[in-house]
Amino acid sequence: MKTSNVTYLIKKGISSVWKNIVMSFASFSILLVSLLQVSCAVLFILNVNIVMSNIEDTNELTIYVKEGATDAQVAHIKDVLENNRDLTDVKYYSKEDALDDFREDMQEYSELLDYLEENPMPETFLARVTDLSKIRYTVDVISGIEGVEQVKAPYEFAGALVNIRNTVTGITAAVLATLIVVSIVIVSNTIRTSVFARRNEISIMKYVGATNGFIKLPFFVEGMFIGILAGAGAWGLTWVIYDSIFALFGDNLSLWQMFGLYGLIPFSDIIWPLLAINCAAGALLGAVGTVISMGKYLKV
Amino acid sequence: MVELKNVNVHYSSGVDALKDVNLRINDGEFVFIVGESGAGKSTLMKLMMREIIPSTGRVFVNGYNLSKLKGNKIAKFRRSIGVVFQEFRLIQDYTVYENVSFVLRIADQSNKYIRQRVPYVLNLVELGHKARSKTKELSGGEQQRVAIARALANDPGLLIVDEPTGNLDPKRSYELVELLKEINRCGTTVVMITHEHNLVRYFGGRIINIENGSITFDENIGGQDEDE
Repeated sequence: MKTSNVTYLIKKGISSVWKNIVMSFASFSILLVSLLQVSCAVLFILNVNIVMSNIEDTNELTIYVKEGATDAQVAHIKDVLENNRDLTDVKYYSKEDALDDFREDMQEYSELLDYLEENPMPETFLARVTDLSKIRYTVDVISGIEGVEQVKAPYEFAGALVNIRNTVTGITAAVLATLIVVSIVIVSNTIRTSVFARRNEISIMKYVGATNGFIKLPFFVEGMFIGILAGAGAWGLTWVIYDSIFALFGDNLSLWQMFGLYGLIPFSDIIWPLLAINCAAGALLGAVGTVISMGKYLKV
Repeated sequence: MVELKNVNVHYSSGVDALKDVNLRINDGEFVFIVGESGAGKSTLMKLMMREIIPSTGRVFVNGYNLSKLKGNKIAKFRRSIGVVFQEFRLIQDYTVYENVSFVLRIADQSNKYIRQRVPYVLNLVELGHKARSKTKELSGGEQQRVAIARALANDPGLLIVDEPTGNLDPKRSYELVELLKEINRCGTTVVMITHEHNLVRYFGGRIINIENGSITFDENIGGQDEDE
């Protein structure tokens, strides 16, 4: 097809948005609400994940070194722990560090410790597990290191958190999937109504010899244009809503921290990816929805 | 050239719209197809523009075997003919110019050619001055002429005109047929479907009468306009 005719069809598609302003507005509004719902749900899920990660980060393994282990063995244990990808924040506590900590805990009774002939505290390592679902496996690996006496792990805490995370992930995925399906159904019905209103125009084009591609292109452009506008609109509204919640969060920081929420993801961190995703999703829904809805009117 | 061989059209409703129709229209002819409502004229037109295919038999138009024409070739075939519908079938939101230029865009013509061709065909139907008007602002007669201009835009070898005078007063009807005759004299085959016998008797020529789905009359008769 000649460039001039492609340009003509693209212009025709964009001008149709204004010519059919009522149906365009209906499609725009439905797309806007659908995308707004989905982007708010995505932001909610991202923040829930942050909360879960913050809570999970409080787990701690205590690795006791065997009494009488050599410096080389301690260095080996340290080396193995630091190179284990399932562990993070590995810290070494010497016998002296451990005794000092214990002395602090004893407070006014700490003088009793002065009567000890020998430091009874073991050398220890503290570390956090990066993936709680692998805690048992990680503990088994550490227990197998030469010179390790014992590993203490918060199995119940980890099990409970893994269950909560799986439940939260399942519910949020179901909510998101439902929202997406409902959005697609509503959007496609609205677009179908819009295309139905112009079925006569489509049939005329067929009767005078237009190919399906020629007829679809302006509708495709029109649907995509409305979708991009709706995506940008949904992004703007998400920004306003999110900023309001962010302000509320700032005013009641201590309250939120009780629930493990130490900070929402700042909107500035996701501003451009969210705009791109909203516009892309809007364009895809608008364009594909329009073209699919045209199908039966092209059979002339 | 239009040729129908042993064509039968049987609708799912049980109606036999055409029964064993054999017909040949040569290039350059002007043919009236007449008959009462429900006689089968519209079915014949639908066959000629490949809106439907025959239940049995074969239909050839402009070298295309329409009975076997594949879906992706229909658009190309339709661009080789011009059709004027009874209810015009113009895109009402388009201007007169856009309605006519649209078929040239479909045929992938250049902007330069479109700028030359559209005024030419609009002048042919005496609507050059209405090029920028919205179609919905025109009278029925003017819309009919826009439909003719659109049908002629691609310079088709065959022009099929369905009940073009149905919405016109007698004077405009006669003027319209005169215009179609003029187009025919320039070499375009014209098939005009009508139920107005007075008009047919006045102009004469080859007349095909359809009754209950069968051709009952196919002859050339002299017209009164030739006598005048």
